[in-house]
Amino acid sequence: MTNQTLNDRKVGHQDVKIAAKGVDVFYGSSHAIKHVDVSILDKTVTAFIGPSGCGKSTFLRCLNRMNDTISICKVTGDILLDGKDIYDREVDPVQLRAKVGMVFQKPNPFPKSIYDNVAYGPRIHGLVATKPDLDDVVEQSLKRAAIWNEVKDRLQDPGTSLSGGQQQRLCIARAIATAPEVLLMDEPCSALDPIATAQVEELIDDLRSNYSVVIVTHSMQQAARVSQKTAFFHLGIIVEYDDTTKIFTNPTDQRTQDYITGRFG
Amino acid sequence: MVDMSILSSHHGSKAAADRSRQRHWAEIRLKAYGIAAISIAGLALVALLWSVFTKAGLVLTESYLTLPVTISADEVDPAAPNTGDFNGLRQQALRAAFPQVEDRAGRRALSDLTSGGSTFDLRDAVVRDPAMIGKTVPFRFLASDDVDLYLKGEFGTLTPATHSGRLSMTITGDAAELFSTANDFGVILALTKSELIEQARFQRRQAALQENGRRVTAENAAAMADGAAKDAALAQAQTFATERDRLAGIADGYEARAARAGGTEELTSSVASVLIRAQGGWFKLTEVSLTGARAQVIVPPTSTDEMGPESWGVLVNDLPEASRKLTDAQIVWVESLRERGAVDSSFNWRFLSAGDSREAELAGVWGAVVGSFWTMLVTFCIAFPIGVLAAIYLEEFAPKNWITDLIEVNINNLAAVPSIVYGLLGLAVFLNVFGVPRSAPLAGGMVIALMTVPTIIIASRASIRAVPPSIRDAALGIGASKLQTSFHHVLPLAMPGILTGTIIGMAHALGETAPLIMIGMVAFIVDIPGGVLEPATALPVQVYRWSDFPERAFEAKTAAAICVLLVFLILMNAIAVFLRKRFERRW
Repeated sequence: MTNQTLNDRKVGHQDVKIAAKGVDVFYGSSHAIKHVDVSILDKTVTAFIGPSGCGKSTFLRCLNRMNDTISICKVTGDILLDGKDIYDREVDPVQLRAKVGMVFQKPNPFPKSIYDNVAYGPRIHGLVATKPDLDDVVEQSLKRAAIWNEVKDRLQDPGTSLSGGQQQRLCIARAIATAPEVLLMDEPCSALDPIATAQVEELIDDLRSNYSVVIVTHSMQQAARVSQKTAFFHLGIIVEYDDTTKIFTNPTDQRTQDYITGRFG
Repeated sequence: MVDMSILSSHHGSKAAADRSRQRHWAEIRLKAYGIAAISIAGLALVALLWSVFTKAGLVLTESYLTLPVTISADEVDPAAPNTGDFNGLRQQALRAAFPQVEDRAGRRALSDLTSGGSTFDLRDAVVRDPAMIGKTVPFRFLASDDVDLYLKGEFGTLTPATHSGRLSMTITGDAAELFSTANDFGVILALTKSELIEQARFQRRQAALQENGRRVTAENAAAMADGAAKDAALAQAQTFATERDRLAGIADGYEARAARAGGTEELTSSVASVLIRAQGGWFKLTEVSLTGARAQVIVPPTSTDEMGPESWGVLVNDLPEASRKLTDAQIVWVESLRERGAVDSSFNWRFLSAGDSREAELAGVWGAVVGSFWTMLVTFCIAFPIGVLAAIYLEEFAPKNWITDLIEVNINNLAAVPSIVYGLLGLAVFLNVFGVPRSAPLAGGMVIALMTVPTIIIASRASIRAVPPSIRDAALGIGASKLQTSFHHVLPLAMPGILTGTIIGMAHALGETAPLIMIGMVAFIVDIPGGVLEPATALPVQVYRWSDFPERAFEAKTAAAICVLLVFLILMNAIAVFLRKRFERRW
């Protein structure tokens, strides 16, 4: 388990990776996200916390346009990735998702071999040309996801034969293998036991050196443990967005205070 | 307001116990209904298979008559052996075996013992081995379907009757007078008398019908006013009465004959046949009295001396001659060949390897099997890609709006359209507009594909819908396009279900007859189709055609063709199961 000192939490730079400006999301007639502004920093773990149904997962799915698959969902406002609007007509959502990887709440490995699970992304994007290179990418991804030692002898076994925690780490390896710039994680530990959760959290902290990681979580302890920045969502708006230390020790808003002390939510 | 705190006491009460007992019984009843339903279905299946397989059993073997045949160089030119008069040779061989048959009708009946197809067998044998020309060689002639059925016991069997007297005979030409010292013929006489009583009963029933007519016309007449119409009705009633009396008279005559002890009675073709075997000769009884009988000589005996009971026999075939296709004379010839050891049978490869034929003994099912194969191949090649791609489009790509809803409803409707309608469509569009050859498996396959596509679409959509959305999310999340997601992940996962649906659709289509009839695949086609453009028939159509033929032997062929159809079906399902297992293992 990570135990960051307050100094660890200092983000040494202010490079904005993703900037959301005035984002509204509608599901048919219901207004799920109301005018959200947020800037997500590069090489930082940003946590979204908030009670159920507050729109944090919905907002997360806007960041790689996964909401496009829901036909009644409509997104307005600007979301800029490295200064370019991802909802621009010119942008291919497929290319975007290669850059903005995603890990889901429930481990969802493909019913293929462990190797093929990880190699699928590099293959379809043509990241490497030769088989040895592909093997190397697979190995590195699995190592970064801290699962290599457990699966190196059975890469041809189906991914679904692994345990829940292993499956989730495999999914993370799969996301890493595509070499994304941003990694979105939608409650990645909600289906895991404490030991697997600890492994995944350690992994998230480690990933910070290369990626901008956005994690949605219901566990405030988890947010406190792994993130440098925290956004508190409530009823479709961001109530407060600041350094994690600040949010958990000295929140500005009363609602944040109530939520993190367990008075509601 | 209900006080819920006291409701808990309900659980221990008698009412609760009663309810639980009722639930328990309801469960037991449901189980019993289920077992009963399954048993009934199982029994029906067993009965169906039993009736089909027992009938089809007759086709397992075919019978041969081995006769010496002289292949003279006059009849068959050694230079061109395939032009000889082999039909003449076949008839000569039979005549040589039964030289006493001299009249035309008899010779035709004799020639009917062997199949016309054996002519071609003989020709092929001579062409293969021209050294046979100029020699007398034994040749196995294929027996005709009626002889074959007789040998399999379908036209009655000759059962020996007891006799104890000494037989003496006088022969004049074709007729013979037989006398026995014991009451051997009296037994046979009693047989004919019971038949007389049966006939009397029939005439009485006819008379009763006439009496009904008379009574009704007389009542009508009584209600009429006097005049021409009434007179005509009365005259009509009188005619009925006369006819009634005439029929009653005939019945009286039969009954009197049956009641009279002794006398002479004719053995008609509607009573059991009685054959006498004596001194190498065969007789067929035509008239019988207490002490003697008149008979027709079928095979003359070697001597006409009086003989003891051990050297003659009475053979009865309970099936009357009128009820079977083989006459008594033909049965005698077959029996006499059997005594010479010239009858044998072997496994009926011909049924499995030959095309259709008008002659039951020559007809085979292979042409229909190949036709069905080509048809199914065309169906699969058209219906599977169209059905699966349509299902993927509708499930994964199409927007959900009223147009796709309409399409969905119509696909479901299409699956329920009667197959003959598809046949009409195929006739009107494929044959008349596109000019697809009539009777060809291509046309049949296209029509059947039309009716299979909705089934495949429905099954494939259900199967695609059952793929967990998390798999789609996973693929989309690492940047796979919609197409890649569908073809790399969704389709392979849905494939077992799609294959099951396809096989159900194809199995349904395999048994489909009506649309094939509409596009002309019901034609009589002897050749084995060599491709999808050649005229062909299909198994269910073959079954339908054979079931319509009057020949008795085709009844067995029909059952056997059904068995082949079932085997074809099981084979198809086995392939599907195999493919499904493979797909599941790969993933």
